[in-house]
Amino acid sequence: MIDAYKGISPKGDLVLLRKFGKVFGNRVFLHVNSTREGGGVAEILQRMTPILKGLEINARWEVIKGDVEFFSITKKIHNALQGNEEHFTKQMWTHHFEVNRMNAEKLDLEADAVLIHDPQPAPLINFRKKGTWIWRCHIDVSNPRLDVWNSLKEYCSRYDTAVFSVARFARSMRIDEFIIPPSIDPVSEKNRELSPEEISETAKKFNIPFDRPILLQVSRFDRFKDPIGVIKAYHMVKKYNDCILILAGSPATDDPEGEAVVAEVREYAADDPDVFILLLPAFSDKDINALQRMATVVLQKSLKEGFGLTVSEAMWKEKPVLGGAVGGIPLQIMHGVTGFLVHSPEGAAFRVRQLLNNPDMAKRMGERGKEYVRNNFLITRQVRDYLSIWYAAEHKGSSVLKL
Amino acid sequence: MSGIFEFKQCVTIIKATGKKSRNLREFRDALAIVSEGSIFHHTYQYLLKGHILEYTNDFSHWAGESLEEGALAEQLSNIDPYDFSDIETLRKELLQVVDDYLVGFPEPRDAMPGDEFFFNETITLVFQAGVRVRNLGEFLMAIKYVDVSALYYHFFDARRRFEGKSNDFSQWFDEEMGKKDLAEKLRFIDPFMHSLEGIRGRIAAAVEEALRQDMESSEAVT
Repeated sequence: MIDAYKGISPKGDLVLLRKFGKVFGNRVFLHVNSTREGGGVAEILQRMTPILKGLEINARWEVIKGDVEFFSITKKIHNALQGNEEHFTKQMWTHHFEVNRMNAEKLDLEADAVLIHDPQPAPLINFRKKGTWIWRCHIDVSNPRLDVWNSLKEYCSRYDTAVFSVARFARSMRIDEFIIPPSIDPVSEKNRELSPEEISETAKKFNIPFDRPILLQVSRFDRFKDPIGVIKAYHMVKKYNDCILILAGSPATDDPEGEAVVAEVREYAADDPDVFILLLPAFSDKDINALQRMATVVLQKSLKEGFGLTVSEAMWKEKPVLGGAVGGIPLQIMHGVTGFLVHSPEGAAFRVRQLLNNPDMAKRMGERGKEYVRNNFLITRQVRDYLSIWYAAEHKGSSVLKL
Repeated sequence: MSGIFEFKQCVTIIKATGKKSRNLREFRDALAIVSEGSIFHHTYQYLLKGHILEYTNDFSHWAGESLEEGALAEQLSNIDPYDFSDIETLRKELLQVVDDYLVGFPEPRDAMPGDEFFFNETITLVFQAGVRVRNLGEFLMAIKYVDVSALYYHFFDARRRFEGKSNDFSQWFDEEMGKKDLAEKLRFIDPFMHSLEGIRGRIAAAVEEALRQDMESSEAVT
């Protein structure tokens, strides 16, 4: 499996992964989350588990089960950790714990390293048998409802280590806290190389012409992704440069406002034949890949964002990217080097015009962007980081470790 | 003259300290107490990022980009961490620059929410790259292809081991290959004015030139 990344991931990462394979060979690395399919965590675990197995590490992935009430509570926890007002009772926390207790009886939690993903299975720490236990938080908990965070912290602070995606997402606890950004998989359907025929096939499917520059934003239809702002920017660009705009994504099914946002976007686009609003069904990875590859400039003009991995996806395809300076986007876009950070539709329009009129600059940015992603945001780096944390936890006391 | 050079490389894993600063006064107070490891990370390890803009450390980057305090950013950028024998002396210099600036600008602005300065540390893992060379020709081949983190480890990190005056490559050229001029040439490459790839190119060019001179002088003898 690891050979699939040869010539793609940095050689140093592959060398270290193989060394870790020798260090941790046959030892058990258990991941636990709350869903086998759907969502970014399941997606990364589907890709990561075979890589770990390919290193001869005994990787296992368990999924906790719960009733409707449990998942309604964990959804509320999720929302409250992101700052939304939610009402909690003592019984709800008891149910959260009880479901985890029942899971602990059924799951094999015996492992040398256990990585627990997100708040749903966090109470499993109370049933620890042995090994290094790591709590991985994929959520932005920088401004949580404090009562909810304090209840959850009772569990989280019992782990050996916590991991957050971005430094500012982290909460201060009395345990080691590491920062590990998420990653993209360069050999997945969404990011693998495509042939010109495959790209044309997608263009044909959506009737997208190739005769003008293409501006693209891939994201769900959510006000925080600012699709209206993107259309405003496109209108400003269009006065100077003929181009087309593609807004591609799926309506947010867990967001009651999703449909309203799509309607607003359609209305604002006002039947402009050069604006393509594509509502993509789930598992449209190959089409998204093709759209990103046919684009001239990619935007991610978010007003609020988690990490915003679509930025790295586009950079991996050597596209200059304009992004809102929010969430994890500034970690991916080095302003003026791999793309531009923008703060308004006017700013986005100006930068798009700059890029459309300076193809050499756009090309240079795209090339640098790909190298930046190669060195920082590929899945091999993420696996490397998890194994490094496991290694560090077993060799505490020094900030420099020699393998 | 038979010494073998074994390339090592490193990766760093970022560890949060839990300390953050919204403005220059908070930053100053945190800077005074954060761990030496945190100051090390934000200064010496800045160059591991591989991109050189107009800053030479995370502190000046934050002052320039998030606080928009251009003059302070310039002053902080001008601090060469390799000039200091230990982190505490470097910390004193950083504090002095911030304190002096605060005298002139006593009411610093706040950074935007989310754009505060987050003090981090790192765990560094060092391992052999699996590349060993015995002479200048082999070195030239290797330097063109080793991971950039090997360049960081042998060229930047090594400066700490030689009090800012040398690096692993120069030591090997000097002590094992008898190439004092080449060693000296590498010692004079300004570490803050190039990306790691830029440093790679300069080292390769210097070694190539030394090899060319060797060949010319051996031809002259025959």
